Amino acid sequence: MELLAISSKTWINLGVVAAIFAGTAIIIGLLILLVGKVFKVDVDEKVTKILENLAGANCGGCGCSGCSGFASKLACGNGNLSDCHVTSPEKKAEIAKLLGVELTDEEPTVAVVHCNGGIENCADKFEYKGNPTCAANNSLYGGNKACSYACLGCGDCKAVCPENAIEVTGRLAQVDPDRCISCGACITACPKHIISRIPASAPVFVACSSECKGKDVTGVCKVGCIACGICARSCPHGAITMVNNLPVFDYGKCTGCLTCVEKCPRHIIISRKVVAGETPKSSA
Amino acid sequence: MIFVAIILSAVLTNNFITVKTYGVCPFLGVSKKTSSALGMGVAVTVVMALATAVTYPIYNYVMIAHDSAGNVLWDFRFLEIIFFIFIIASLVQMLEKIIQKLSPALYNSMGVYLPLITTNCAVLGVTELVKDNSLAQAMAKLGVTNFTMNFGWAIMYSLFAGIGFTLVMVIMSGLREKLNCYKTPKALSGFPLAMVTASFICMAFMVFSYISI
Repeated sequence: MELLAISSKTWINLGVVAAIFAGTAIIIGLLILLVGKVFKVDVDEKVTKILENLAGANCGGCGCSGCSGFASKLACGNGNLSDCHVTSPEKKAEIAKLLGVELTDEEPTVAVVHCNGGIENCADKFEYKGNPTCAANNSLYGGNKACSYACLGCGDCKAVCPENAIEVTGRLAQVDPDRCISCGACITACPKHIISRIPASAPVFVACSSECKGKDVTGVCKVGCIACGICARSCPHGAITMVNNLPVFDYGKCTGCLTCVEKCPRHIIISRKVVAGETPKSSA
Repeated sequence: MIFVAIILSAVLTNNFITVKTYGVCPFLGVSKKTSSALGMGVAVTVVMALATAVTYPIYNYVMIAHDSAGNVLWDFRFLEIIFFIFIIASLVQMLEKIIQKLSPALYNSMGVYLPLITTNCAVLGVTELVKDNSLAQAMAKLGVTNFTMNFGWAIMYSLFAGIGFTLVMVIMSGLREKLNCYKTPKALSGFPLAMVTASFICMAFMVFSYISI
C-alpha cells in the first residue's frame, strides 16, 4: 500500500464499490436467469438443422426473407425445396431426409440474358435522361430502346444480384455463369422479363427475346431473331422448335453439335463455351 | 405548457442526433433502407423509455438513501455511468427474451436491432440527461421557467427523444434511398455523400433552436 501511495481508506472505498457491483451483478444475473426461464422459447431443432444445410446466401430467390425464413417454412411443411436454386443437390438430399420427403432430381441451372442488342446493335428510340433504373426507364413508353424486347442496360439485375455475377457493358447485361447461383433475383427484377434460367450444362442459348416478325426486327436491331427457322430445320436432332417467332430449345435432345450456331444468319444462337472461353463479356 | 415544451425540446430543438450528436453510429450505419431505419428507431424509442423508467428511480432512490432524520446513509451516485450501462444492457437482454416469447413477429423485425443498442450512446445519453434537473436550462431557453424534473416528465422526455431520433433516421434513410437512384461522382458515392447529407440535415434542424413558446 505504501508502494502504491494509496491510503487504506481508498482501499476500503474500492472494496465498497466492488461489493456494490458484485451485488448488483448477482441480482441482475439472477433476474436475467429468471426471465430466461419464464420466457423460454422452444426452438424447433429441425429448423436449425435445415438452416445448417441451406446455402446461406440469403438471396431471397425463394420468396422468403432469407434462409432462416425458408427453413422455418420448410419445417412447417409449407415450403417447396425446389424453390431454392442455390443449395447443392447433396445438401438438398440431406434436408429432404430431415423432412422425410422425396427429392425430385433436378439439374443445376444458371440465368442468362436473352438479348444481344447493346448500344451498337440496337438503336435508341429517344434520349432517356431520367432515373437510371430499368424500372423507371421501362415505365416511360416501355424504355428507350427501339426494340421493345431489348435489354435496357440500366442494371436493375446487377443491383439485386447477391453474387455480383452480372456485368453491364455497352448497355447490355451479361451473367457470369461461374458466379451465378441461380437465385432468380434478376429474373424478378428485370422489367423486360428477358432473363431466364437454362440448365448449367446447356451448350447453346438464344440471345434474343423478340416475338416480332422478321421484318419488324430487322428495322430495329442488327442482331435480333428474324424467325427464319433455319435453326429448327437444320438441327440434326430435332431439338429446336419455333414458338412465337423464337427458337425454343429442348435441352434434353440437344447434343451440342453447334449446327444451329453456324447456320443462324443473325448469329444470335450463342455457344456458351465461346462466351465463357474466347470472348468473355466483351461483345457489343 | 411544460408538456408542449418537452415535446418540442426532445423532438426538434434538442434533437438527439442533429443537435446533441448522440447515436450517430446507427444514424450513419443503419440508414441505408427506410424499413431498417424505422425498425432501429422504434427499438431505440422503446429501450429509451424503458431504460429511463428503470434508471430514474434507481438513481434517485436506490443509489442515494436517507434515514428518517434526513441524514445521508449512502450515496454512490458517482458510479452512475457504469451503473446505467450495466442496467441498460441487462434490461435489453431481458426485453429481447420477453419479446421473443410474446411476439415472434415483432422479434423478427426488431430482434436484430435490440442487441445493437445495448450500449448505444443515445440510450445512455437520455438516462443521464433526465436523471436530475439538468434539463431546466434547455427548458428556460424555450420559455418555460421553474421546470423541475420528475418521474413522469423523465419518461415523457425520453419517449419523445426516441421519436425525434426515429424522425431523423427516417429522413436520412429516405434521402439516402433517393440518392442511390442517381449517378454521383465516384469519389463521393456511398458513405461520403451520406456525411454530406447528414450535415445538411443537421443544418436544417439548427433552425429549430430559435423556437420559443
